Amino acid sequence: MSRATVELDFFGMEKANSSKSQFQKFIDRRRSFRGIQGAISKMNPELIKSVISSGSTNRSPVDWRKSFSVPSSPKEDRSSPVPSLPILNPALRASSEDSRETAPVTIFYNGTVSVFNVTRDKAESIFKLAVEGSSKNVESTDSLKVANPSRDQRNLLETRNGDLPIARNKSLQRFLEKRKER
Amino acid sequence: MEQNDNKVNKTMTTQPGMSDVVLGCVMPYIDDPKDRDAVSLVCRRWYELDALTRKHLTIALCYTTSPDRLRRRFRHLESLKLKGKPRAAMFNLIPEDWGGYVTPWVNEIAENFNCLKSVHFRRMIVQDSDLEVLARSRGKVLQVLKLDKCSGFSTDGLLHVGRMCRQLRTLFLEESSIIEKDGQWLHELAVNNSVLMTLNFYMTDLVKVRFEDLELIARNCRYLVSVKISDCEILDLVGFFHAASVLEEFCGGSFNDQPERYSVVSFPPRLCRLGLTYMGKNEMPIVFPFASLLKKLDLLYALLDTEDHCLLIQRCPNLEVLETRNVIGDRGLEVLARSCKRLKRLRIERGADEQEMEDEEGVVSQRGLMALSQGCLELEYLAVYVSDITNASLQYIGTYSKNLCDFRLVLLDKEERITDLPLDNGVRDLLRGCEKLRRFALYLRPGGLTDVGLGYIGQYSPKVRWMLLGSVGGSDAGLLEFSRGCPSLQKLEVRGCCFSERALAASVMQLTSLRYLWVQGYRASDSGCDLLAMARPFWNIELIPARRIVMTDQVGEADVVEDPAHILAYYSLAGPRTDFPETVIRLDTSATGVEL
Repeated sequence: MSRATVELDFFGMEKANSSKSQFQKFIDRRRSFRGIQGAISKMNPELIKSVISSGSTNRSPVDWRKSFSVPSSPKEDRSSPVPSLPILNPALRASSEDSRETAPVTIFYNGTVSVFNVTRDKAESIFKLAVEGSSKNVESTDSLKVANPSRDQRNLLETRNGDLPIARNKSLQRFLEKRKER
Repeated sequence: MEQNDNKVNKTMTTQPGMSDVVLGCVMPYIDDPKDRDAVSLVCRRWYELDALTRKHLTIALCYTTSPDRLRRRFRHLESLKLKGKPRAAMFNLIPEDWGGYVTPWVNEIAENFNCLKSVHFRRMIVQDSDLEVLARSRGKVLQVLKLDKCSGFSTDGLLHVGRMCRQLRTLFLEESSIIEKDGQWLHELAVNNSVLMTLNFYMTDLVKVRFEDLELIARNCRYLVSVKISDCEILDLVGFFHAASVLEEFCGGSFNDQPERYSVVSFPPRLCRLGLTYMGKNEMPIVFPFASLLKKLDLLYALLDTEDHCLLIQRCPNLEVLETRNVIGDRGLEVLARSCKRLKRLRIERGADEQEMEDEEGVVSQRGLMALSQGCLELEYLAVYVSDITNASLQYIGTYSKNLCDFRLVLLDKEERITDLPLDNGVRDLLRGCEKLRRFALYLRPGGLTDVGLGYIGQYSPKVRWMLLGSVGGSDAGLLEFSRGCPSLQKLEVRGCCFSERALAASVMQLTSLRYLWVQGYRASDSGCDLLAMARPFWNIELIPARRIVMTDQVGEADVVEDPAHILAYYSLAGPRTDFPETVIRLDTSATGVEL
């Protein structure tokens, strides 16, 4: 079964080349079971940059808006076994860039989607941060740890029992809930 | 087993000793599954004779074989037990649509299994249509139907059972998720059946059943021995209790009225296994008149505090089985140890986490365990959630609980400081002392058991067939040392540990008896490829990737929680599964490499 676990089809653009460089490596990495957050933390910032720049040339980025809510296993897009992603190609970058012109950055993180309008410089600093954050976590020993877990998530995930809360028996769970109502 | 037919036949006819006729008479008396397994491996003739005469079969995971293979080998089977979803499903850890569909099995049963009288599906997905097919085809002979922690069906499916399975002695639905349309199914059962002995819809949330139908069943079925129901007002059951004159076991019900009103309830004279849901301290006295007869007591869903437990337990000297929550406390365990010398099975579950909901005395620790092990020498099964623990208490268990076959300990995570960690020596001494141990579960926390302790587990559990290890060990070295031992380990569950894929794969290759592995929480490799080190023929590897699930936390608020990835691997003669939901990935271990 060659179905992808997590569809990263949010850019929805046809890939220009099938070069085996960053794109293939990215796909191979993505085939781990970390889910979206692992993928993003390892994503090549150049890749994101090229999307930003194509966004700034007023090409309507239809497909990312489509995936605004990110289900963990989306039902649509099953027909494309390989998600389409833009290939890094410096030639695609717009040659004349106004440093004050802002473009949207869309960040998919752990089930939430945020869109920011930032200048190119700001965007680059964001990417730098992400790259640094992800390189520090390359040796991460837990499949749950992400580049910058929010405080809430850390509380949820990092309990004293090795990052996994002790699960409760279904029937007992229901009883304890019903008891509160009595 | 493939044998050279001619050669074997020649040997059999010329060999002195047991003739086939004699063997055919002896074989039906061999019931133990391990014995049967051994018998079937001796030679072709014994294999065939076993196939003809084996009465019961348990298939521990339905995907390890196929209905077709079952039919070809055991066409004359009388009793079948099939299990589907991993055990973790009981803790809401497995996607609902993971699999374990009974449909292909039911179709095969309907078609070919003419001797089948008893069917038990556990943690499987059952549809109304399956129940209809089963009832229509086997209804005339079916005596036992158990839909145990199953889901996917409604009371409409049960209508078919009620109408067409008139020979049913046992209808068991405990903990199944059933869509309730009405209570008509129970009425059908009541008017069509007069041989029912066991009726169980405990923990099913079926509320539209009419107590009049229960009463009718009690009147019609002279051999009704065990009834476990959902929440139904006890005062409505006075007539039922009166009619069920040979009843020995009753669980369920509820108490919604004034405590004084329950004095009119009189229980059947032979009642010795009891569990009254929502029973509080004020209703408890209705049990006192026959407490000394009680062999089994279920207080899991009662509303008693520590003192109540003490008061009740001390009146039950013949108690053999007790299930309750940790509100029993150390004090309750001390009373148990003093009063219940015949205790064989004890299960202490985890109560509510919020202090207000449970007794503040309601914690179980080394103190209770030490008293228990010294007092209840006949203990065979012990499962307990503790708030504190010491090596000494585990050593006591090793010293005194010589009959222990099944030991499960979970260390709760409320307390920051635990009196005595790591538990390496205690675990070692427990395992060495409890020589009959077959099943073992240890769920601790980081620092709870070192790699040395994990090595002890490997070294000192020669007969253990099933293990659950949670948050133990310190590194891959521990797991590898562990897997050099455990010669009998068939089924291993690992949760919340720090082991890498590489180590997990390597340990699988070292565990000589292992046929089933489940892991949640591990160090994933970059590509997920390290698992391939355990790729081998007939070994299916499946993955449930990390997902987000909604869980209600302690304050009842819905929370979206990250549920880490699972690995499930098992031997199968049926090849890889083909009925995957999108939440499950099969690791394709064919020569072309990893295909997801």
